[in-house]
Amino acid sequence: MIPNIRVLYSLRKSSTTLAYMLQSSEYDLAQYFRWFWRTQDFSRIMYRRTLDATRVAQLLKLFLMVGMLLQILGGLLCIVLWHRGVLDGGGLFGLALILSYPVVWAHLVVAPLWLGRELILKPRQRRQISASARLFADHPAVKIAVAGSYGKTSMKELLNTVLSVGKRVAVTPANKNVAISHAQFAGSLKGDEEVLVIEYGEGQPGDVRRFTAVTNPSHGIITGLAPAHLDKYKTIQAAGEDIFSLADYLHGRNIYVNGEGAAIKPFLKKSYEMYGAHGALGWKVSDVKLSLEGTTFTLAKGKQRLVLKSGLLGMHNVGPLSLAVALAIELGLSLREVEKGIAATAPFEHRMQPYQLGAAWIIDDTYNGNLEGVRAGTELLALLTAKRKLYITPGLVDQGDETQTVHEAVGRYIAQAQPDVVVLMHNTVTRYIQSGLQMAHYAGEVRIEHEPLRFYQNLKHHVAAGDLVMMQNDWTDNYA
Amino acid sequence: MKTIAVVFGGRSTEHDVSIVTALASIIKPLELSGQYQVEAMYITKDGTWYCDDKLKDISLFSSGAIKDWMLKAVPATVRFDGGMTLVKETSIGRKKLHKIDVVFPAMHGTYGEDGSLMGLLRMANMPFVGCDMESSVLSMDKVLAKLIAMAHGIPTSPMEFARKTEYERNPKDFADTCEKKLKYPLFVKPAHLGSSIGISRVTDRDQLDNALEVAFHYDDKVLVEQEIGNLIEVTLPILGNDNLTPALLERPTTKPEDFFDFDTKYMQGGKKGKGSSAKASQGYSELPAKLVPTLYKKAEAVGLAVYRALDCCGTARIDMLIDSKSNTVYFNEVNPLPGSLYAHNWNASGTSNVELVTKLIHLAEEHWQMLQQQNTVFSTSYLQQF
Repeated sequence: MIPNIRVLYSLRKSSTTLAYMLQSSEYDLAQYFRWFWRTQDFSRIMYRRTLDATRVAQLLKLFLMVGMLLQILGGLLCIVLWHRGVLDGGGLFGLALILSYPVVWAHLVVAPLWLGRELILKPRQRRQISASARLFADHPAVKIAVAGSYGKTSMKELLNTVLSVGKRVAVTPANKNVAISHAQFAGSLKGDEEVLVIEYGEGQPGDVRRFTAVTNPSHGIITGLAPAHLDKYKTIQAAGEDIFSLADYLHGRNIYVNGEGAAIKPFLKKSYEMYGAHGALGWKVSDVKLSLEGTTFTLAKGKQRLVLKSGLLGMHNVGPLSLAVALAIELGLSLREVEKGIAATAPFEHRMQPYQLGAAWIIDDTYNGNLEGVRAGTELLALLTAKRKLYITPGLVDQGDETQTVHEAVGRYIAQAQPDVVVLMHNTVTRYIQSGLQMAHYAGEVRIEHEPLRFYQNLKHHVAAGDLVMMQNDWTDNYA
Repeated sequence: MKTIAVVFGGRSTEHDVSIVTALASIIKPLELSGQYQVEAMYITKDGTWYCDDKLKDISLFSSGAIKDWMLKAVPATVRFDGGMTLVKETSIGRKKLHKIDVVFPAMHGTYGEDGSLMGLLRMANMPFVGCDMESSVLSMDKVLAKLIAMAHGIPTSPMEFARKTEYERNPKDFADTCEKKLKYPLFVKPAHLGSSIGISRVTDRDQLDNALEVAFHYDDKVLVEQEIGNLIEVTLPILGNDNLTPALLERPTTKPEDFFDFDTKYMQGGKKGKGSSAKASQGYSELPAKLVPTLYKKAEAVGLAVYRALDCCGTARIDMLIDSKSNTVYFNEVNPLPGSLYAHNWNASGTSNVELVTKLIHLAEEHWQMLQQQNTVFSTSYLQQF
């Protein structure tokens, strides 16, 4: 199919579109080029969002517009010179210059980025990271590193909420979890913090190993292993080896691992402290009750007993909550402080976050991006009661070679929850999810939605009182 | 994919309300269903028809830009032979025919909801959503609706009515009759109008005389009703042709003396000054109405009985008045095309906007199929005698 590139022949639209593609790819040039060359309709690139007018984005736009304009003028000049008999072949060459400018500059735009990154940004970041290693080494706080394919941010925020009741805690902000973010985090510390929680956002092989070398953790939490970022890691094995380099760094001590999920089993060692729905660090879970208001459960260890109420939804949170309780007590918080901390936990934005739309209940888990999260979400949907249940997903990004297998599993998990309606946002993985649904003999209604943004924006028209909707995963424009 | 024509606007005092019903409650959910191609057919206040996708944008109307748009737009050509066909001109002057499969009327009030549009569509043998011609005519005439209800043994509030010609012969006579046969307070209503236009509550003769004059300004038939004491007002949306599904009984929460006028119902400020849009229309109700179960069931039964008595189909909303002392449920009015389809009530009862409009399309097709089985044309030898 011939791609629709008409929009690229408008200087303003093409510069904005190309800058947006770079920004959405987080300036990962390989990802940007892959996206550029698979795009069929450039007029639909900015579908979910628009260009964030940062300084870098504006400079790139300007660079593109000036460059394209110069090429057009160059082409016109060649044609004029050819017409005057001064430049043989100038006509064809000039025409080629004019027609090719969008494609040429879609590639030339990376030059300043690459130069800036190699000559300015990377050396500056190396210096910052190097300086931060000293800051981390000298800081007296307990340093808890959180790594894993999923659940890292939730674990970090959970620890922050619970431990802050009795300790001075600092955590890496939002989802800023790469080396330079750690360095900036180190620079922001006052020095009197008692606990640091550092999220490790692995993106490519060796990341976690590098992070441990800089941040010098004393404790490590591995939240789980699932197919994620497989476009870089290629296999779960490679991802697991990198994530478990945290355990190697700690020599197998003070390492807490979420033992649930089949993928993690080959990496487990006896010295690791396992946590999960059964409990953590000797604390045993019982009497779990789930509702849209949250989770209540009992933790008992010896003669000690805690009845806990958390605002977090889903059985999959019981393990992390138990670990947070166990670690808090190990770090010196009283039982009363721990109860208070757990009671303060509430759903994080777009992570199993319940809200009402009219009289319908929606659980927004759109930040989930892995198979274990789908399992947790579908299990929760199955457990809750409702007049009508709907499950909505576009599928999971970044599954690499595992894409088909993972999405067939997604289909099976959805079928097991037995929602009345499944809404699939149409893209490259939809057929695999449908296949999984069929394999599991799903008998409900399946709707394929070709305008995802319009669907989400008009969700209120699709639901009514008595409906419970589980929305999982997100599919941003750069995966279109 | 079936093509649905949503017809809205029209020569009616409820023209603007119809625009909101069409755009927000019908066109949007129909398109979101992914099952239909939707044509927006707008009839201006002077009766000109237009058809364009731009008419689906509420801002065209709310900004006033519709006037400029109409200066440049070409009125629609609609053919009604053998169904309904839109004749659209392309940018190069070629004519393209768009056959309509189902019509979704969204024209409140006169020349629409009152049966006028339904009559046209019946003649064209078109499936259309909502009450048919006969039930629309009867429902929109408050006097006839009450007379039919009474004939079916359904209680209604005591009333007197008069036609304009009778009234104008001697206005005093009718007012005297009202005072003789009814007790104050009284409600004076134009017989055919909706959205509480021209309605007055009166407590003495002077007010009665004024109210009659106002009401006859709007209509050629007026009724005067006795107010129901210990009043609980409720309304019940119903869906269905033969198998009926009631939504939730809904109770307005304003005081009885603050009966609805157009402002309270539709304007954002309401009678008491500025307020949020939630105070308009659907923001004033107890939903479901907090009645004892027996009374709730009784009101529901009266609503369903009225729906059947008037041969309603598709959807309608039945308004009732309850005397909470005697627990008598009186039929008040029928609204054969509820504003915004009363979608908020259907949502609360478990039917989403998308489900509501798709169900209405199916009901329209079902009703039309039933009509196809009627034989209205047959051969005779009548002409041979001439």
